[in-house]
Amino acid sequence: MAKSMESWAEGLPSEFQQRSLKEILRQEAAWVLGLTAVAIFILARWRADFGYWQYVVLVSWYVGLLLAGIAWRPLQWATVASVLPALGAVWLYAHGQTPANNVVLHYVLQGVAAALWMSALLLLSTGAYLVSVFTGSAAIGRWATRLTWAGVIFGFIGLGVRWRETYLGHASWGHIPVSNLWEVFVLFCATTPLFYLYYEQKAQNRSLGAFVMPLVAAAVGFLLWLTLAQHMDQVEPLIPALQSFWMKLHVPMMFVGYANFTIASLIGVAYLLRDWSVRRGGVLAARLPDAELMDDVMYRAIALGFLFFTVATILGAVWAARAWGGFWSWDPKETWALIVWLNYAGYLHARVVKGWRGRSMAWWSFLSLWVVSFCFLGVNMFLSGLHSYGKL
Amino acid sequence: MQTVSNVRSVQSSRLRLLVQFLGSMRLAVSLLVLLAIASIIGTILSQQQPYDNYQLQFGSFWFQVYRELGLYNVYRTLWYTGIVAFLVLSTATCVTRNTPRMLRDMRALPVRQRHAAIRAQDHFLSMDAPASAEAMAARLASLLRTAGFRPRLERDGSDFYVAARKGRFHRLGYFLTHLAIILICAAALYNADIPVKWAEWTGTLKPANNFDLPLSEIPRSAWMPLHNPAYRGIITLPEGQTANAVFALAGDGYLVQPLPFRIHLRSFHVRYYSTGMPSDFVSDVVLYSPSGKVLKSGIIRVNHPMSYDGVEIYQSSFSDGGSLLHLQSYVLGMPALHPGMLSGRVGQTLQAGNSGYAVQLKNFSLYNVMPRAAVGEKPDPKNPMVNLGPSYTYIVHDPHGGAAEFKTYFSPISRDGQGYFVQGYRQALGDPYHYVYLPVGPNGGISLFLNYLAALQVAAHGGAQASPAIFQEIFAMLAARVAPNMSSVEQDHFVQASLNALQQMRDYPAPFLLHLQSFDHRWAAGLQVTKWPGTVPIYWGCVALVLGIFILFYLPQRRVWARVENQDDGCRLELGASADRNKREFAREFAAWERALQAPPGKDGTTLHC
Repeated sequence: MAKSMESWAEGLPSEFQQRSLKEILRQEAAWVLGLTAVAIFILARWRADFGYWQYVVLVSWYVGLLLAGIAWRPLQWATVASVLPALGAVWLYAHGQTPANNVVLHYVLQGVAAALWMSALLLLSTGAYLVSVFTGSAAIGRWATRLTWAGVIFGFIGLGVRWRETYLGHASWGHIPVSNLWEVFVLFCATTPLFYLYYEQKAQNRSLGAFVMPLVAAAVGFLLWLTLAQHMDQVEPLIPALQSFWMKLHVPMMFVGYANFTIASLIGVAYLLRDWSVRRGGVLAARLPDAELMDDVMYRAIALGFLFFTVATILGAVWAARAWGGFWSWDPKETWALIVWLNYAGYLHARVVKGWRGRSMAWWSFLSLWVVSFCFLGVNMFLSGLHSYGKL
Repeated sequence: MQTVSNVRSVQSSRLRLLVQFLGSMRLAVSLLVLLAIASIIGTILSQQQPYDNYQLQFGSFWFQVYRELGLYNVYRTLWYTGIVAFLVLSTATCVTRNTPRMLRDMRALPVRQRHAAIRAQDHFLSMDAPASAEAMAARLASLLRTAGFRPRLERDGSDFYVAARKGRFHRLGYFLTHLAIILICAAALYNADIPVKWAEWTGTLKPANNFDLPLSEIPRSAWMPLHNPAYRGIITLPEGQTANAVFALAGDGYLVQPLPFRIHLRSFHVRYYSTGMPSDFVSDVVLYSPSGKVLKSGIIRVNHPMSYDGVEIYQSSFSDGGSLLHLQSYVLGMPALHPGMLSGRVGQTLQAGNSGYAVQLKNFSLYNVMPRAAVGEKPDPKNPMVNLGPSYTYIVHDPHGGAAEFKTYFSPISRDGQGYFVQGYRQALGDPYHYVYLPVGPNGGISLFLNYLAALQVAAHGGAQASPAIFQEIFAMLAARVAPNMSSVEQDHFVQASLNALQQMRDYPAPFLLHLQSFDHRWAAGLQVTKWPGTVPIYWGCVALVLGIFILFYLPQRRVWARVENQDDGCRLELGASADRNKREFAREFAAWERALQAPPGKDGTTLHC
């Protein structure tokens, strides 16, 4: 009964066949075995230092990567492509190499350099997406996708290497690199295109990149300003309130939420422009996927974002209970997270239960971008509160 | 009889209307959006500030209006709680109304379905095929199995029924999410000290407004009961002291919450990184029972609270706990040979001799870490911060009711080889400080500068004309007496620095200078004490919420019904199917089934793709 990926059992294309557990294990053997081997290696090597939480983290990463890789195969090689160079950099650092005496570290692998490579690649890919949507060139579109992949991989290499770099020199400074504005922008710039690539593949259409990537490019621009003008790329120690295990979970999950909400909003923009172009005539109507598909992708992005945002907010509340003495303090950041949550809860109810579709929902999704951006950036810039460490 | 039943039916239809309204999706979405908008207010207006600040900000009219609306503590107002309560009510109505239908949905699927029901599904296929009904049913069942369903077949004479379903427990997602919301909101309302709010509202509990009272003098009407089920309060505890009550802000006053134990702060300290940034705040604490037995001891750090008997104690802030300061006072214009002495703790007000002036010791900071640029030093990217050492602030009240605030650094700073004591003063709280740089003499201290100042004043009284030569001459005379080792370059520097300081002191608002000679530092730790028995239900609610959302989005329910009728020359298949999520994807899947069923069967039961 073994089937290749292209088999047509009962006349059904493989995408509509449900794979049994045995089939999954056989088809994804390399991924499953490789990941299991790595997990066992980590356990064997460092179990002596493991506490309760390290087991939780290891199991979460193992299960999360395993499932995500099975659900979306490209993630498998992308993981390998980010982890191996990052480990290479860690190995170089462990053998006395520094950016000052090692060219590879200096120009490619050190956290800041990799983030700059990511920036350059994502800017190029944005350009390529825009050119491809206006010229209709499929070849340029394929290059846009490749450049985005390369940018994403460099982003995660940069974050991985920087994690190691925070421990160099000052062991007590070490922390997951999601603690200041510079670091979270690298995370945002790497996460958003990654999820975009997922939707691009599911929708089998590259034209949405011309709408999603310009915002990523704007974020890259801000990141470059932070790097070159503000010098915020320096590693700094953590303030006491951030020295918590929970940060490792709370912040990255929040950014899965932000990334998906951002993508949904920009697809909302694409939807509205396509709609406008259908009525006025224009090239967009022909290049963009049909309205129903965009509506569907928008909903899926919001659903996934909502799931992660909910988990992240709950983890934040649990952390707040540990650090501030109450799981909810009506701090502006918390309140805005609640506002974002209520907003999307409203959206999901309207869509799923009331069956609302089309332009009004696209407007809702687009306008939500402002709510999300205010929660992400505005609160830290304009309001004071317990989250005010993220200031410019 | 008829009228009674009419009244009843009117009543019941009214009730039905109310239930319909409460359970309507329109109301739910409106409430979600309304709550979101109401929540914004509290993020724009900083909450729970002293009322004076608001009065200043809005003027007395709008201050009153906003106070009546409760905007200074929005999330605890009746109307905000009301919206939340309404949302809970609406959710509860929705759950109650939908429960029977959803339970029915989760029960076993009936295999036989009427024609009309099959046709009423979102997707419907009717086709004739030259195969027997049995073969067709088997083929459909096989296809459904390949697609991951577990179809059931039933025979009815020569006809067949096929039914299959995925995501049977999809409805569970609905229950989990909505019950979670009810549970979380109910637990949160419980934790938001509803009983205390009620007592405050009925007047049995009255917040005290005087923040300067010692604990024993606070009126009993401001005390909450010892066995209050939920509370959250703060206490600022100086090192070496013990407290058995905490304070909770309420409006522009506060309430007192007695604790079932006494907290004793043995010591507090701040740990620093090499950059001067604090790395941790640590309190060393002992808990005693009222009879003096040690219940628990240990340290409390940020992110590492202490827990005892359902009460959590957190490290929340720190301040000066009444450091002992020894000050020298120099009267301006008098030779500084015999300074007066003042000693007191931060927080105390001292009388400056019999001058009528009072000195209120306001604060003492052990460290003042600031960017190098802010104090005019060269930037150093490796080490961007500089520690200016201890500083203290005090307020001088003059006999006429005026006051000015002073901030003085303990250690001198150095500029171009000359040391300076930095002292800031301001006459209104909101103003920036004016800084005075008092030059340090060769023996340390500020006495040389003050002696020089006195000598200048004596000369001015004697009729000397102000000129650089006179300034130099007077200083040379003074230096010969008290600092004979100063070189002429040093003397020039010192004279120039002194003249600058005189310039800066033109509006100095006190007739004397205070100079910190020594100090005995004492911290106070700000501890937050909470008892929130509703936390565990909230955590379970959160687990249910996440699980429910996952089920709702990713385990959609898909139902398939088919009826295969035997006909003379083959069979007729009627196939209906619906999905309640991801309908678009399911539409594609159904189209693939349709193609597969309509294609002629291959040799081994599979079909060839063209």
